[in-house]
Amino acid sequence: MRLTPQVLDLNWEEVKNKISRFIRDYVEKTGVKGVVLGLSGGVDSSTAAALSAIAIGGNKVLGLMLPERETYNPKDLEHAKLVAEKFGIKTELIDITPTLEALQKTIPAFDPEDKLCKGNLKARTRMLYLYYYANKFNLIVCGSSDKSETMIGYFTKWGDIAADIAPLMDLYKTQVRKLAKHIGIPGDIANKPATPMLWPGQTAEEEIGVKYELLDLILYGLEHFMKVEEIAEQLNIKRELVEKIEKRWRAMEHKRRMPLTTKIQYRTVGFDFRLPHTQS
Amino acid sequence: MDLTSDYPTPNHENGEGMKQRFRVALAQINCQRGDKEANTQKIEEYTKRAKQQNADLVIFPELSLTGYMLGDELYKLAETIPGPSTNRIERIAQEQEAYIIFGMPELSEKTQATLYNTAVIVGPQGLIGRYRKMYLPTHSVFEEKRYFRQGHHVGVFETDLGRIGLIICYDVFFPEVSRLTRLEGAQLIICISASPAVRKAFFETLTVARAMENTAFLAYVNLVGIEDGLQFWGGSRLVGPNGRIIVSAKYDEEDLVIGEIDYTEIRQVEPFVPTLKDLRPEIFDKLKEKAENL
Repeated sequence: MRLTPQVLDLNWEEVKNKISRFIRDYVEKTGVKGVVLGLSGGVDSSTAAALSAIAIGGNKVLGLMLPERETYNPKDLEHAKLVAEKFGIKTELIDITPTLEALQKTIPAFDPEDKLCKGNLKARTRMLYLYYYANKFNLIVCGSSDKSETMIGYFTKWGDIAADIAPLMDLYKTQVRKLAKHIGIPGDIANKPATPMLWPGQTAEEEIGVKYELLDLILYGLEHFMKVEEIAEQLNIKRELVEKIEKRWRAMEHKRRMPLTTKIQYRTVGFDFRLPHTQS
Repeated sequence: MDLTSDYPTPNHENGEGMKQRFRVALAQINCQRGDKEANTQKIEEYTKRAKQQNADLVIFPELSLTGYMLGDELYKLAETIPGPSTNRIERIAQEQEAYIIFGMPELSEKTQATLYNTAVIVGPQGLIGRYRKMYLPTHSVFEEKRYFRQGHHVGVFETDLGRIGLIICYDVFFPEVSRLTRLEGAQLIICISASPAVRKAFFETLTVARAMENTAFLAYVNLVGIEDGLQFWGGSRLVGPNGRIIVSAKYDEEDLVIGEIDYTEIRQVEPFVPTLKDLRPEIFDKLKEKAENL
């Protein structure tokens, strides 16, 4: 297999149909009234929201816009509103700054200089709002994590990853961008730099240290059982970079699974219970 | 080990009294997972609809009695054959005067939790037989060997519609299963399936290949619907002995399509595609030897 950008090309109409069918089917089987998701104005959440609207109708999709003072960017809000309007999605705008400030005040160990811990608090706070609305209005939380970020663990555990379904999780970031354009997400949203909005000026590519175009090909190679040296040679990059990504991918499995326990009894959650995800 | 069919096939030894032409219905359904009652009702409904269109044989997908992605629930849902579900579907076949093929998790009558992934054939006279899947996929998203014991015999059954051979899904990847089924005299090979979308290209190629290389009709019936994120793609088809797609069902949606089988077509194909005449039995010894030392 040659690792060229073409390997990431899919039939986007088919992908759109598959994902929207998946969302519709899950909503029907669980008997909920619709879907709630965080609408940041970024490409992932815009795409997840649009596909949800295509699947079940925009009137059954609620997008929560959850800005906070430090990372506030009016452009993001504008983008989120634009997507909501285009796909007929209901929205609610909630400034989470007071919640964050209150939380920070009540944590004795809170360290304002530790931007990672502080940032994760933001992602987990957004999760609280999403699950409150889901709970209150009988909705499911639709996540918007993509495959690139999920594979390398570039997300907040129990934060932005927390959801009932994650319809984009089998698409790499560059694939989500293409799908976004295919379903009518404006180009400036589809192409804008990704950020988890944990601190001001944060961009995913800068933090990860590699462009998504390259990261996705490295991950694609790993997905297809290619050896580190094969990937490095084909992409004409240093072996150390591929090793770094591979290591990160393997080290982050704990973030993608249910909590690990130690086996004591006959059948154990997470080990050897095998039950269907949904019941008829 | 004797892999030949474990069901006696005493009738129609010379093809006497059997239909040369008949209509076969591919009933591509979306199952209610774990709900045998709902699925049995659907089998009845589709059989009636097929019969109204003069079909003599109605084929349902792999594990169509229960759905596919069941995990540990299989232990609760499996039944012996004969058992309550086969009894009910026998009655449907008798009432509708049709042959029905469907899939179910079978509980071995000699044990309490040994299961098979089984295809069942019933007809107007009742239960005809069963075929236990020989190749159980246990890779990627599949966990079949965790639950099922593999079958040890091919399934070929003498009926008024000729000798019918049954295979299940992943069996089609192994040409020797279809070949043995054909060598037992099956002119119609039926492959019931629960294939998720990533395998579409394999099945679309292999179903045609198995029909052509054996100069036999091949009916492929796949599940549709979504179970635990797996999307079953449908695309059921009836393939002629020359590889022609006689009829095909929609992708991804429930469908009922009917095609006609005329066994005389095999007589036209065989002389110039003489794969059976040209068989070299000595190669199979070599194959066995090499397969044991892979």
